[in-house]
Amino acid sequence: MVRLIYAAALLLAVILLNFTLMHLAPGDVADTISQSMGGADEELLIQIRADYGLDQPFIVQLGRYVGGVFQGNLGYSFFYNQSVVSLILERLPATLLLVISAQIVALFFGVLLGAISAQKPDGLLSHAVTFISLFGFSAPVFWTGILLLIGFSLNVQWFPVSGMRDVTIEGGFWAQAVDIARHLVLPMITLASIFLALYSRLARATMMETLKSDFVRTAYAKGLPTRTVVYSHAMRNAMAPVVTLAGLQFSAVFSGAVLVEAVFSWPGLGTLAFQSIIARDTPTILGILFFSSLVVIVGNLITDMILRAMDPRIRSNSA
Amino acid sequence: MSDLDPATAQPSRSPFREAWANFLTNRAAILGLAVLTLIVFGAIFGPVLYGTDPYEMVWAPFSPPGEAGFLLGTDYLGRDLLAMLLSGARVSLLVGLAAALVSIFIGVTIGALAGYYRGIVDEMLMRFTEFFQVLPTLLFSMVLVALFGASLAMITFAIGVVSWTAVARITRTEFMRLREMEFVLASRALGATNRRLMFGVILPNAIPPIIVQSALMVGSAILFEAGLSFLGLTDPNVVSWGQIIGSNRQYILDAGYTVTVPGLAIFITVLSISLVGDGLNDALNPKLRRR
Amino acid sequence: MFHQLKGLAVTAALVSSVAAGAVMAEEPKSGGTLIVPLGTNVRNLNSAVQSGIATGFPGAQLFASPLRYDEDWTPQPYLAESWEVSDDGLTVTLNLVKNAKFHDGTPITSKDVAFSVDVIKANHPFKSMFAPVESVETPDDHTAILKLSQPHPALMLAMSGQLMSIIPQHIYGDVPVDQVKTHPRNNEGTVGSGPFKLVEYKSGEHIILERFDDFFIDGRPYLDKIVMRVISDPAARAIAYENGELHMGAFESLPRIINRLKKVDGLTVTPEGYGAIGPLDWLAMNTQRGPLADVKVRKAIAYAVDKKFIQNALMQGTAADSRTGIHPDSPFYNGDVETYDLDLDKANALLDEAGYPMEDGKRFELTIDFGWPGVKPQVEYVKAALKKVGIDVQVRASADFPTWAKRMGEMDFDLSWDTVFNWGDPVIGVHRTYDSNNIGKGVWSNTQGYSNARVDELMGMAAIESDPEKRKALYAEFQQIIADELPVYHINTLPYHTVYSDKVGNPPLGIWGTSTPLDMTYLKD
Repeated sequence: MVRLIYAAALLLAVILLNFTLMHLAPGDVADTISQSMGGADEELLIQIRADYGLDQPFIVQLGRYVGGVFQGNLGYSFFYNQSVVSLILERLPATLLLVISAQIVALFFGVLLGAISAQKPDGLLSHAVTFISLFGFSAPVFWTGILLLIGFSLNVQWFPVSGMRDVTIEGGFWAQAVDIARHLVLPMITLASIFLALYSRLARATMMETLKSDFVRTAYAKGLPTRTVVYSHAMRNAMAPVVTLAGLQFSAVFSGAVLVEAVFSWPGLGTLAFQSIIARDTPTILGILFFSSLVVIVGNLITDMILRAMDPRIRSNSA
Repeated sequence: MSDLDPATAQPSRSPFREAWANFLTNRAAILGLAVLTLIVFGAIFGPVLYGTDPYEMVWAPFSPPGEAGFLLGTDYLGRDLLAMLLSGARVSLLVGLAAALVSIFIGVTIGALAGYYRGIVDEMLMRFTEFFQVLPTLLFSMVLVALFGASLAMITFAIGVVSWTAVARITRTEFMRLREMEFVLASRALGATNRRLMFGVILPNAIPPIIVQSALMVGSAILFEAGLSFLGLTDPNVVSWGQIIGSNRQYILDAGYTVTVPGLAIFITVLSISLVGDGLNDALNPKLRRR
Repeated sequence: MFHQLKGLAVTAALVSSVAAGAVMAEEPKSGGTLIVPLGTNVRNLNSAVQSGIATGFPGAQLFASPLRYDEDWTPQPYLAESWEVSDDGLTVTLNLVKNAKFHDGTPITSKDVAFSVDVIKANHPFKSMFAPVESVETPDDHTAILKLSQPHPALMLAMSGQLMSIIPQHIYGDVPVDQVKTHPRNNEGTVGSGPFKLVEYKSGEHIILERFDDFFIDGRPYLDKIVMRVISDPAARAIAYENGELHMGAFESLPRIINRLKKVDGLTVTPEGYGAIGPLDWLAMNTQRGPLADVKVRKAIAYAVDKKFIQNALMQGTAADSRTGIHPDSPFYNGDVETYDLDLDKANALLDEAGYPMEDGKRFELTIDFGWPGVKPQVEYVKAALKKVGIDVQVRASADFPTWAKRMGEMDFDLSWDTVFNWGDPVIGVHRTYDSNNIGKGVWSNTQGYSNARVDELMGMAAIESDPEKRKALYAEFQQIIADELPVYHINTLPYHTVYSDKVGNPPLGIWGTSTPLDMTYLKD
């Protein structure tokens, strides 16, 4: 309960900071609206500001906004002519699809590569893992995306260039699903590359430690085949810290998603954020900032709960 | 672990010399350092030695690498990509370094105060740190730069202000551990002021993990800057690597090299920084363990 | 021209097939669903209160205007079956079609015309369209008489396309006229007067329109349905045209994509249909600041900036040359003006003359602004080009549009790249840039601080000149002065192109492009 109250206070502080920042900057969305109209005189701009309550004193606008947020209302986007909550909910599935699939790929291959290479620390594969993880750490993610795009969408046209779906595909659920999956492959690999680096590295380290531990020796002593020991016993053990680490990546995942979405025109929250920043669509920007902080806070709470449930060794490791 | 006497734990040359010796045994780290030195050299002297103005349209647009004497070819305006790359190195390294310094400054200050004073100060500063941890880093920087102008100073600040929390936590942990050490207690008994204890006595001993973290910070700040300028949130008067990629991106069909080459530059730079950082980590760790 | 159009024979014109952008090679066929993309989200479907090209497309389908234009800039009857302009030019009488109905079955009357004019005057950004209209009299249901304070030839174009949408008073009259802009029935339950009615509007996704069976022109529209899908990525649209999944699309402006689509079999890509919208790219120069106050400096800049490079290398040949504030497709265009082909010697000489000698390869500094990322290459080019004559240009970043708009509106700039539309008659979209009474009044006003008494006088005379030939002469002189004094250096037209497949008959290629009703467009087998 205390943690919940604390989380709410944190969110309130986030709102205050964001709201204040947005109001310190010159210009407002009335200018953007006038752009979509082909021009407007000062009189009309004043009218637009009045229509949307932009002429009110700062404290009144802030009060209205905070009041709205606590009723689940993030305001109304002038630019999209839609409520911010519905805008975010509309774009959320695309981002979730991208982020979750990328995380699953990164976790699966990260742990697998880590486990394999841990058995032969000086083997070829181990060096490959080192290289992959260094690449993931050092290559700008948007560049990775563009390289994949050049390689697999332009040179060999295996995957579509951009977007999440071919709007013109008519057909049942499966036709649509296959279409989306084809669009998903490259952005997913791109985003996964950052985290694959992180996870394979950690998985290898924990795996190496685990393989030296008593229970593995016992398993070998019992005469279990290597494959069973490594992939069933040891790997399950090595999973835990990696999963925990994954739980702490919410903020990083979102940052990565912004860039990956920009490269592939993926119609998710990152694209929405970028577009609304360029248009200075204040309610949408505030809404997305608030929403991402909310996700991080809730994510941390959940990770924390998992941490507490796990053994004390992990708890002290992650301090 | 805590059986050190004040004399040997005081900052001295020898642990660092030892670390350097360790570092030299790490081939990857040496390679990283060599490449990094080359890149820094190129950034400082390259533009002067090469002489071509990165903004001048010197040749036909999209001249492929190697043709007409342009080693890396020309971009969509016919500007020399090699000149742009050399000039961009300055910006990328400078912003990376400066942003890392900003975040280290904030992080060390907050971490030191929290770890030293503990109690209510620690509580409040850690809440403050958590506040920054829940901000979506890239998005928040994008908003800052979009709202308040894309000058290099603003970009540096925008990166630094969202990246310091890890440094603060590491510093705090070190300070908490060190402040109970005998040499600190001894200095305190001798009447050292809080400030002297924090920055004169404890900080020098807390430096190794901070150094490792700082090296990694520079790399990630370079990536961060590249991401911002890729999105167009950059000072249009200076060439930066990310910006070259961002503005040439729509021409990848015509001239893929305008995107691949600057990306490779970022990759190699950050890679060598990571290698050096890893090397430092390995080199400084044995000492940490012995302590 | 407009003056002489009194009492046009009506019924004949209605039945005949003269009208917007129609070359009828074969008999039009009824039926079918036309699928078109929208490049941006449409904020508001009610084109009486929302201007802009995004709203124009659906707006012109949902709402009819009194007139429409053919491809020769000649007005044609639409909701008004005939019209008369009095000899003194102060009275314009519209005789409305008798059988016209709104989509809910209510007859369209002159009261609705009067109401629409009120709503447009209260909400639309182009105040000059109806500013001289003092009142609209409605002696009977089918006669609307516009009383003007001065002759206003621009009214003819302002009564066509998307500019004068007739909206139902019984729907939108329940709020004060200046609040129609936020009326709940703008986007939902919209009741229009045009050939298509609204089926569904989903912001950011699609707009679905359906044939209005009681449309006042018999047998029209030909199409059963129009599906407009929001596809903001130009590359995705290009692929969809190629696949034949989109029948037609307008406002394609990426040179690379235009040139790629031109090579595709079964597709036609044309720059026709943008004359009235008249989009122009130019280099704005603040005539009230520093060295730019000197016309010699402005001319030097024009000589140093190579338009051909921008047109050929950056626009890859997709954009036409533009020399004056009026779009080259307009009947008022005068291309016989001072031009500035690349000439660095002349530029240097002019700068020396102006008193800015070259010192260490540098004369003085200027800044340049830009408002959206798409024109960054042009801005970078200007920087590089001016460096050659010793002008050190700093590009000022404005990551978002409002920052730029604010700087422009407050005239806080030296040079800026700008894109401005003509919007039909010069009075609507051209005067605003050069009128000395409109200096620094927000973005797309006279942000250059340009002031020339003769220019003001010429615009004043042209605004009320009813004789088209005399008007043309006035604008010819106006354009010569503008090109000579260079408050802006005109570079090129925006490379807007319309793409349509061989399946589409009668694509909208008239002067208003897609801001006209698609009642004559049809799909072949």
